[in-house]
Amino acid sequence: MAGDGILRLERVEKSFGDLHVLRGIDLEIAKGEVVCVLGPSGSGKSTLLRCINLLEPPDGGRIVLDGQQISGGAGEVGVDYVRRRVGMVFQQFNLFPHKSAVENVALAQQTVLGRGEAEARTKAAALLKRVGLADKLDEYPERLSGGQQQRVAIARALAMDPEVMLFDEVTSALDPELIKEVLDVMRELADEGMTMIVVTHEIGFARDVGDRAVFMDDGVIVEEGAPKQVIDNPKQERTKRFLGLVLEH
Amino acid sequence: MEFFFDYYFDFSLMGEEFDRVLDGFWITVKLSVFSGVCSLVWGLVLAVLRQLPGRALMPIRAVTIAYIDVFRGIPLLLVLFLVSGFLSAAQADGTIPRAIGIPEWLGQTSFFWYGVIALTITYGAYMAEVYRAGIEAVPGGQMEAARSLGMSHGQAMRQVIVPQAVNKVIPPLLNDFIALMKDTSLVGVLGATEAVKAGTDIQTEFFNGSGLVLGALMFLALTIPLARLVDLLIARQQGRYARSGRGTAEPAPAGAAGSGQTGGPI
Repeated sequence: MAGDGILRLERVEKSFGDLHVLRGIDLEIAKGEVVCVLGPSGSGKSTLLRCINLLEPPDGGRIVLDGQQISGGAGEVGVDYVRRRVGMVFQQFNLFPHKSAVENVALAQQTVLGRGEAEARTKAAALLKRVGLADKLDEYPERLSGGQQQRVAIARALAMDPEVMLFDEVTSALDPELIKEVLDVMRELADEGMTMIVVTHEIGFARDVGDRAVFMDDGVIVEEGAPKQVIDNPKQERTKRFLGLVLEH
Repeated sequence: MEFFFDYYFDFSLMGEEFDRVLDGFWITVKLSVFSGVCSLVWGLVLAVLRQLPGRALMPIRAVTIAYIDVFRGIPLLLVLFLVSGFLSAAQADGTIPRAIGIPEWLGQTSFFWYGVIALTITYGAYMAEVYRAGIEAVPGGQMEAARSLGMSHGQAMRQVIVPQAVNKVIPPLLNDFIALMKDTSLVGVLGATEAVKAGTDIQTEFFNGSGLVLGALMFLALTIPLARLVDLLIARQQGRYARSGRGTAEPAPAGAAGSGQTGGPI
């Protein structure tokens, strides 16, 4: 199964002690595709993302990114290869509190990509403008709302020119009225053709923006397909039960 | 009662011997500043070594932890004797050059430098633990975010973790500095005429403790303002946390899958 997949996971496994969190995940993602991962807490969604950028090394299986094997024994390329191509946005934003918005976005450009300060700041300012924060360049994170912080975090990941973006429940820690501004940025990013894997509880976002929905439970992919099909006409009992609970309110 | 006042508060004696005590206290201040700066740097080095990641670097972590355990656990006075004895004996033996065995850099006595070395060895270990607390108080998500952007462990420590950690531990480091300043008096045992030694010299000569009281007053003139500064910094930090309260990075909710796991090879 070569295909034009930019990212391919084969039988990926991960355990924490006795807890078998990922139990053989197969997933292929095409360039420019937006895959939304749904599922209950503890189903392994976040761990899946963390395995893809090797924050957690998988215990078994293979991951191939852009033609290079990044996990799975012989011929592995290092974490540097992965992290320069894969950007990640976290539930808790994780902005650097001692740096201003523009410094947050510029820092890794300078230390990792070796860009000069002026170049890095120019790029940072352009990205912050793109996420609607042109007037907040010099604010420190503690002076920004959760939604603004999360948009800075998205800009910070984009500054590294990633080929794939991972979003780990990025709206779960936000007050309801701040969720839309973050989802709007992600929607634009998807429209521009970014390859995205989005772990989310935002069913509406998955249905409207996702090219594909993946439903996970108990460390396996239970069901996947077109978002409308998976969300509106799930085949599997477990998917129906979960969506029933989520869509109830 | 009169004897009490004469013994401790003989103002004419204090006046006559003021310069002698002040000279001693000046040595105390210099000892404190040199040792304080060296301990701050050495402690940070130890704390960072202790946090090195990966199995391959385990021996370095183990040696660092052993060092910290040993020097936090034995008296400073003992370290002073170990250092001064070894250095003077080793240079007499010809193992090390005289300039190192009996250091008299910057016009200070060798006792002074033995003191700086011993204080740095001991207080470096104390301060390493303070830094460690600060490093561990930085949320795990900070390291993950830095690593996910492609930074190495070293880059993440230097740019992201240590600046935040140091900010958090400035008050306890200052507390350690106050303790260090008082412990410089032990160097007097070797023969360095710092404030306490100057006071005991006067006491021996005049059978009067006023020189010591004068030294005590000089200590207090520095340590009390420093203690108030610590209080002020702590109050300011608490004020900042109270203001930022909600909205900023709170710990992940217990249910968030995986996000509590920070044990990975990040």
